[in-house]
Amino acid sequence: MRGAPGARAQASFARRHHLFWWFRHAALVAWSMFIMFPIYWMLATSFKDAGEWVTWPPHWYPYQPTLYNYHQIFAFATMEKELSRQATEQVFSIWGAMGDSMLICTVSSLISLLMGTFLAYSVSRFGVGGKNFRYLILTIRMVPPIVIAIPILMYYAIMIPYTTDALFGTRISLFDSYTGLGLLYTATTLPFVIWMMLSFIDEIPYTLEHAARMMGAGRVYTIRRVVVPLVASGMVVTFLFIFILNWSEFLLALTLTHPNVTTLPVLLNKFQSAVEGRLYGPQAAIGTVITIPVVVLGVVIQKHLIKGFSFGMIRK
Amino acid sequence: MARILLKDLVKQFGRVTAVSGVNLEIHDGEFLIMVGPSGCGKTTTLNMISGLETPTSGEVVIGDQVVNEIEPGERGLGMVFQDLALFPHMTVFENIAFGLRVKSVADEEVRRRVLQAANAMHIAPLLDKRPAQCSGGEAQRVALARTIITNPAVFLMDEPLSSLDAKLRLDMRTELKHLHERLKATFVYVTHDQAEAMTMADRIVVMRGGFIQQVGGPLDIYRRPANQFVAGFFGTPTMNFLQGKVETDGGRLRFRAKSIDFLLPAGAGPGSGREITLGVRAEHVLVGKGAQPGRVTLTEPLGDETLVFFDYGGDAPLVAKVSPELHLSSGEAVTFGLDEAGYHLFDGATGERLN
Repeated sequence: MRGAPGARAQASFARRHHLFWWFRHAALVAWSMFIMFPIYWMLATSFKDAGEWVTWPPHWYPYQPTLYNYHQIFAFATMEKELSRQATEQVFSIWGAMGDSMLICTVSSLISLLMGTFLAYSVSRFGVGGKNFRYLILTIRMVPPIVIAIPILMYYAIMIPYTTDALFGTRISLFDSYTGLGLLYTATTLPFVIWMMLSFIDEIPYTLEHAARMMGAGRVYTIRRVVVPLVASGMVVTFLFIFILNWSEFLLALTLTHPNVTTLPVLLNKFQSAVEGRLYGPQAAIGTVITIPVVVLGVVIQKHLIKGFSFGMIRK
Repeated sequence: MARILLKDLVKQFGRVTAVSGVNLEIHDGEFLIMVGPSGCGKTTTLNMISGLETPTSGEVVIGDQVVNEIEPGERGLGMVFQDLALFPHMTVFENIAFGLRVKSVADEEVRRRVLQAANAMHIAPLLDKRPAQCSGGEAQRVALARTIITNPAVFLMDEPLSSLDAKLRLDMRTELKHLHERLKATFVYVTHDQAEAMTMADRIVVMRGGFIQQVGGPLDIYRRPANQFVAGFFGTPTMNFLQGKVETDGGRLRFRAKSIDFLLPAGAGPGSGREITLGVRAEHVLVGKGAQPGRVTLTEPLGDETLVFFDYGGDAPLVAKVSPELHLSSGEAVTFGLDEAGYHLFDGATGERLN
């Protein structure tokens, strides 16, 4: 098989293989550019001056790059009036919305992570919920958010306030509140947490827990010293995953909040002026700001995913 | 006091009965090995002693105390698991120290005792490593060190050597025996490997289908198996079994099977007309002595001895142990006889021992 004809066939195969390599990469690069173009456009627009946002022929890159859009959205209260008089008659600062988004997403993701991890542990170890529970969990997520948005609005804005008024004499409204949106974010991400943490916890051999128990460790001690350290990277991955989900969630936030509580995606949508129409420059700047953490966390997730799923270190 | 008493111990998983009424006394300081095929209930019995499983009925007594309601960690036991169950995220040091950390022992004391245990198991240089960086034998020693550090009166071991390669397994057998002699603690050891049981145990408990088949010393069990199952389970190669019938022949009993028949020794148990199984070990099949003809089908030289399989016209070939100097080849005609002293007579239906 090592003769001349074989070698020629091999060479021809190598050449064809080489050509295929180029073709494949050309196709992938073209597709990536197609996909990435809107992101590039957003990034470019965020550095464009008002006159360049919508021109024909389009400016493919900012002819006069400016940080004015960022200046506007990051304006502090003291600068607001001056700046807003220059551009439009609106307040532009995103600090409030950023704080709201950060607070709601962090707290609800953390609560969801903790609850979900313990639930996953009990499903994995005690078979809580029965044999098929682990598969049923995700079906909850198959309901589109729009289906629950309106009924939840009815509860938050009407039924709960009137019921509490009737029962306790005070109106408690979850509409347009941190608690209201946070509760929903916890509830909607919980299935993901349970499902993801199940895969991590199932990987831990139960004999580790038996061994700890034999040495006198209680359930809580065992979970703290044995189980949690082994699923820690899994918990980080899960947290980042649901944080990004919550961070970019739009529909529920749009329906159930504003004006008191405003998350970044909702703010982005409201960002327009009566005089100038859509403020593409600042919107693009906000879009960029929203995207940065998602990209950073995405990269972090990839690193942790490898760590989180590599349980080869456990001797079977 | 580390005497263990099992009284009418039963464990059911749903409709499956894993252990059906086990009664056993394990003496203080004894090396007891429970052996049997998979699913015979040996691990379940061990887990009921450890407390990891709760008995459906019956009692587990350790010392003078019924421990059914006592947490596993409070029973004063140490356990080595089949997969060793070392904590992968902790160093060897912390693995060994775990039992002391649980009891909040002071750091200095922990350090002293970990070093002591590590030295005893010859693993002091490994203390900063992770379990994944240890070899199979080293991990084994870590698991043992982790168990001895709390000075338990009873050691429970669930097939701890099964993950090792053959050579290492032999070394660890010797080491476990030494450890037992040094610690003078009670060892309860579970295995499916009869050779492991024979070499290490003071006493062996043979289990099958949730029942104890026989309890006794290794040689007792080898020489006088209580039934056909035990006889077949112990010894390599497996005991030869011949199915046949007992007949009266001029005042003596004669065993008649397919293509073979011979007189039974005087005073042999079964009465005339009975269907029995006659068992005889390979070392009691005497090739070249006796009149029965046979033809060699296969030889397996083991070095110190050779196994010869030969066909005598019966249902299955017989196997004999012969001296390696005896050069036999496949197809060769031989004569053989059976050593009377090595007859094991079992009831043809129940398999119970008759002689």
